[in-house]
Amino acid sequence: MNKPSDDELVAAVASGDEAACRALMDRHLTRMLALARRMLGNHADAEEVAQEVFLRVWTHAGRWEPGKAQFGTWLHRVATNLCLDRLRRRRGTEDIDAIPEPASGEPGPDRQLEQRELAARVEAALQNLPERQRAAIVLSHYQGLGNIEAADILGVTVEAVESLLSRARRQLRVALATEKDELLRSREISA
Amino acid sequence: MRNEMTLERLREIVEAYGASPARWPQGERSMAEALASSSPEAQSLVAEAARFDALLDMAPAEEPSAALTERLMAARPRAVAPLVPARPQKEKGFLRGLLETVWPYGSAAFPAGTLAAALVMGVALGSASDISLSLTGTAVTASTETETGEGLIALAMADQVWPEEWMQ
Repeated sequence: MNKPSDDELVAAVASGDEAACRALMDRHLTRMLALARRMLGNHADAEEVAQEVFLRVWTHAGRWEPGKAQFGTWLHRVATNLCLDRLRRRRGTEDIDAIPEPASGEPGPDRQLEQRELAARVEAALQNLPERQRAAIVLSHYQGLGNIEAADILGVTVEAVESLLSRARRQLRVALATEKDELLRSREISA
Repeated sequence: MRNEMTLERLREIVEAYGASPARWPQGERSMAEALASSSPEAQSLVAEAARFDALLDMAPAEEPSAALTERLMAARPRAVAPLVPARPQKEKGFLRGLLETVWPYGSAAFPAGTLAAALVMGVALGSASDISLSLTGTAVTASTETETGEGLIALAMADQVWPEEWMQ
């Protein structure tokens, strides 16, 4: 039996179908949470955004027009905008201690890197990117969206998306130069 | 869309989108893949980008908590049962069709009932005033002048004796 499309699930959600609500969450909630986590840098804020996204789905399901837009793209747009709004508000009341420290670098040559520590450094480097660059790399690299879809969500041209991505990866490469070598070394050791 | 893929363009693509062809621009993907599989220099570019992608993939992301899922399920839309169950449409008869033409605002029972009540009230009022006027000598003349203003005044004056009669 074919899986119901997103449009079919949304229509069932609007009529109060519990199974459809659960199926739509199973399909998209983890991805929305991952997007928000990479944009905001902490799990609690990411859960709040993911919750807000789905509350909007519950509210607007009855007005969803099948075929007019991709439901997944709409979800990404809502989640991205909620994250950008939150980051703008955060900027006004920024606590300097809340900004993740950039990767410290220069660990000892014989140091075995903990995976968790490496992950934290990557996250810190991501959080230090300008917001638009971060949104572009989150949508393209982490969420796997095409350049046209990412451009649509960010309200820019595909050329602008490519430029945002190039700058983001360049900055990340500089920030994570040590980590890349360490990752390679740790892989060689474990291999 | 470009008609050819150069190493320089492939470098731009890889530096922006990473090593996975699935993320490359759709219009250039097949040409870029062809170059990446045929040129050792291109292969080196892609391999380097793949190592960096692996590092980026380490950024943490957890599964949704059970509490989040429960909150969302609690807030989900509910099916609303209709307050009045819908009744199947019946075949309209000639009389019902005629009634609906005259009174298209729903059930004709209300205007019909109002009309019947008005008729009853009219008959009752007419017969009651006859009785009262016959019992009160001062207002006898009113029975012959009901169309005039004086007749109405006499009728109003006659009203005053009704309660006493009802009490007997």
